[in-house]
Amino acid sequence: MLRPLLHLLTTLALLAPLAATAEPVIVTSLKSGPIELTREQAEKLYLGRSTTLADGTPVKLVDLPAGSTRDELYLRLTNKNPAQIVAYRSRQVFTGRAIPPLEAENVSEARQWLTDTPHLIGYLDRADVTSGMRILLRLP
Amino acid sequence: MNQLLVAPLLVALVGSATAADEPARFSLSGFGTLGVVRSDKDDFHFRSSTTQSSSSPGQNFDATTDSVLGVQGTARLHDQLDATVQAVTRQTVGYDYSPRISWAYLRYRATPELTVRAGRTTTPFFMFSDSLNLNYITPWVRPPVEVYSLNPFAALDGIDLLYRIPVGTLDLEIQALYGDSHVSIPHGSASLKSAKGLKLALAGSGLTLQAGYARTDLEVHWGDYFYNYLTTVMPPNVSQNMAGNEGHAQFFSAGMQWEKDNWLAIAEYAKRKVDRYINTSHAWYITTGYRFGALTPFVTYAKQVQEAPANDATLPPALAPLMDIFNASRNNAQKTIALGLRWDVARNIAIKAQGERIYLGPDSRGIFASPSNPTDYNKPTNPVHVLSLSVDFVF
Repeated sequence: MLRPLLHLLTTLALLAPLAATAEPVIVTSLKSGPIELTREQAEKLYLGRSTTLADGTPVKLVDLPAGSTRDELYLRLTNKNPAQIVAYRSRQVFTGRAIPPLEAENVSEARQWLTDTPHLIGYLDRADVTSGMRILLRLP
Repeated sequence: MNQLLVAPLLVALVGSATAADEPARFSLSGFGTLGVVRSDKDDFHFRSSTTQSSSSPGQNFDATTDSVLGVQGTARLHDQLDATVQAVTRQTVGYDYSPRISWAYLRYRATPELTVRAGRTTTPFFMFSDSLNLNYITPWVRPPVEVYSLNPFAALDGIDLLYRIPVGTLDLEIQALYGDSHVSIPHGSASLKSAKGLKLALAGSGLTLQAGYARTDLEVHWGDYFYNYLTTVMPPNVSQNMAGNEGHAQFFSAGMQWEKDNWLAIAEYAKRKVDRYINTSHAWYITTGYRFGALTPFVTYAKQVQEAPANDATLPPALAPLMDIFNASRNNAQKTIALGLRWDVARNIAIKAQGERIYLGPDSRGIFASPSNPTDYNKPTNPVHVLSLSVDFVF
């Protein structure tokens, strides 16, 4: 029942000119405590070059399914387009250098994870951020 | 029996992997290439590796040269311990497509900086050694054969240590390894014993620099009829330096990858220094390309040069020409100018086209083998043109 409605809403949202470009923000659960994340560290995490915060705290990452929010996040954070990211990620995975982020099936699953799980870091379109989480980094 | 055991295990592992704080315990991914290649001369059948045979006419489109399929599974056994297996099928000696295990290791992340891997990993001789069959990640149809044919050993059975530390805004990765390797080549086989190597890689956001060094004991055995004939006519002290278990080899390499805005450049130099059985050669290439949206045209120049032949014994005039043929058949010296285009047609899929003009020698048939006539190796030739088309994918 809910799904078709959600799809309709998503479609409408995509058609609306103001929402045409996703504005991804990097978030974590309020349960993560007072952690901090710099842009450089976020880039390192999402490029698999680090698995911890700057202070050494281990964190895990969430990816959204392939789509505009994900593409926009990687473009803003790493300056790589979708094909470049797939190539980069493939090399890391197939050479055992990094484990890819956990991929949520959809935005609501990502939101659920990012509300419930401490030390999990993810990104959402700014409009999808809810009260159980905190914005760690904006990517204007 | 293995399949019966693995299937319920997979279901159990995948089924339990839904919560975010308990990340997937088992992941399965794969990659592949479907490619065809042909040359403009029937007696020059292109090979992408010296481990391949060549028996069909060179002008026929051959789908076996570059096509490859790989599947990789990783199971997390513990926060710091995981196991990875990768199987790859592609054409090797005698048109054999049996899947080979290219990775099978246990990895222990001792600290965030230090990783230890034991089992089967890859040799570190080249910049793309650890992703040899993963063509999706490069602009080319295949890594340039001038450099990559210098060393046909891909798998390493042993142990390696990976140490990663930040250096300013860059990351330094130090890899040290020890192990053995074995490879079948047309009419023969070769092994590395007690290979020891060190590789350094410095990576930043758009630039990767790396350098490696390895030394190893080398065993080489030939079984082709021309070699067998030579062993009956050459003095014993000469033929014992044509094959055996007493060789030593050293390997040097240095490479860089650079990406800025829409430009890309890749360059690599490698040298193998061998005291007997095969020749001492060096090679290098440089590729540069530019991204126009989904299209990336690129150009490559590559060259392999022989420094010392496989066997340099001083021989009487009746035997010297025979040894010249033997040496030429073990020499892959050539140079190539290549023009290519990568098209990122969809997420995870790239289509590539590449045209090459290959100048052979001197004293070599380059990457091309002659299946029937040893004297082919001594004939002067015109440039050979090679056309390749491929589709690469990852999943």
